[in-house]
Amino acid sequence: MNLIIEYQAQLLAGTWVTIQLALISLVIAVMFGLIGAWAKLSKNFIAQKTAAGYTTIVRGVPDLVLILLVFYGGQQMINSFGAVTGLWDYVEVSQFAAGAGTIGIVFGGYMTETFRGAILSIPRGQIEAGIACGMDRITIFRRIIWPQMVRYALPGFSNNWLVQIKSTALVSVIGLQDVVYNGFVAGRSTRQLFTFMFAVLMIYLVLTAISDVALRWLDRRYSRGIVRTDHG
Amino acid sequence: MKLRKLVTTFAAIALMLGTASAQAADLRVGVEGAYPPFSWKEADGTLKGFDIEIAEAVCAELKRKCVLVEQDWDGMIPALLARKFDTIIASMSITEERKKRVDFSDKYYNTPAKFVAKKGAGLQISKSGLKGKRIGLQRGTTHQCFMEKMYPEAELVLYGTQEEVFQDLAIGRIDAQFSDSIAADDGFLKTDAGKDFEFTGGDQHDEACHGPGAGMAVRKSDTELRDDLNRAIKALRANGTYQKINAKYFEYDIFGG
Repeated sequence: MNLIIEYQAQLLAGTWVTIQLALISLVIAVMFGLIGAWAKLSKNFIAQKTAAGYTTIVRGVPDLVLILLVFYGGQQMINSFGAVTGLWDYVEVSQFAAGAGTIGIVFGGYMTETFRGAILSIPRGQIEAGIACGMDRITIFRRIIWPQMVRYALPGFSNNWLVQIKSTALVSVIGLQDVVYNGFVAGRSTRQLFTFMFAVLMIYLVLTAISDVALRWLDRRYSRGIVRTDHG
Repeated sequence: MKLRKLVTTFAAIALMLGTASAQAADLRVGVEGAYPPFSWKEADGTLKGFDIEIAEAVCAELKRKCVLVEQDWDGMIPALLARKFDTIIASMSITEERKKRVDFSDKYYNTPAKFVAKKGAGLQISKSGLKGKRIGLQRGTTHQCFMEKMYPEAELVLYGTQEEVFQDLAIGRIDAQFSDSIAADDGFLKTDAGKDFEFTGGDQHDEACHGPGAGMAVRKSDTELRDDLNRAIKALRANGTYQKINAKYFEYDIFGG
């Protein structure tokens, strides 16, 4: 316990990196998810196939492999391209950008499916009613699709988000000093690995518990006017 | 030389900014920070240890500013190749396998490898004595090469870090562990968890696996830096700086014969 207090600055700094990483990759994931869902549901052949390719690849390849590929492979590629063309000599791929970007893009694949399912759950007749009332596409999205999509998507979204918070741990492999990296380095330096692993575990539990509260609030907000019954 | 081009570009920029900055000469060193007593991290985040002090002494000798870059062990060589830093000073043993991808300086230390087992366990270090025994070690190390070559009869249990090997030895999940003797002595035997354990079987060495010792790794194209590092190691040995650093951490000269 004393050791954890001694190393608390390290653990807190790591926790902060983890939180930033989780939130920024979430924004990226939601953006990719919305675009992906739109593309999958669109009548445009190219958009459909591109989105299908995207979800197949990112959901089919281990996150860790992608992170390593982007961070090390990406940098080598950028630099050899620079060397061949003579345009630049050395470009540094930041660990944070590689980590947040990769996790965001991977989870965008999961979000695509979650959002697509949610949009499909909205009764078609409501959208037709909107058209009949003379709403344009943006108004239909804002008034009919978005509020209901959020409600239908929340359970799947919550799952994705909880997995995503934990996936940020993968970035410790590329040396990004998140809570796992700092916890393990402190554990090895003091030879009290268990103590620090336990501390890291508790930090993740706190983070997921806070998200749970926030997600439940969102669920209540988007379920206003809807009565829950036992049959769901 | 790409490096020289980079240096001149930097120098040109520094000149333009009107600052006589020494940035052009920065030496970026990849270090681990999780391998006491060679490298570890203090509570305030500073890096300490034999490797760290050697790195700083080398930079001082070369009159270049040291930038220590912390890197997880598994990504050490990929990061060097991706030019995240210019050299690795992280107790990396010089091996034929690694030499295919990077160049090494001369060794800067060489400590023997040893087995550690429970006191009185009576473990025989021989092909028959180790048959079916669970031997823990850090994966991707020279020790793995040694065990696979010399004692294929033993059951190897591989770990990401040396600390995890000690953890599992302490709780009895493995019969013995095989590692660098200094790492085992300082990291385990001298600690509370290791008080019931001891070295067993004496020094183990296989030239093909263990190689000449720990060296500083550079990219294959960086022959100039490699020569500089060799020069620095020689100078540190000659002017007594090495011995001073050595004495802080170890009871005998770990440079080896």
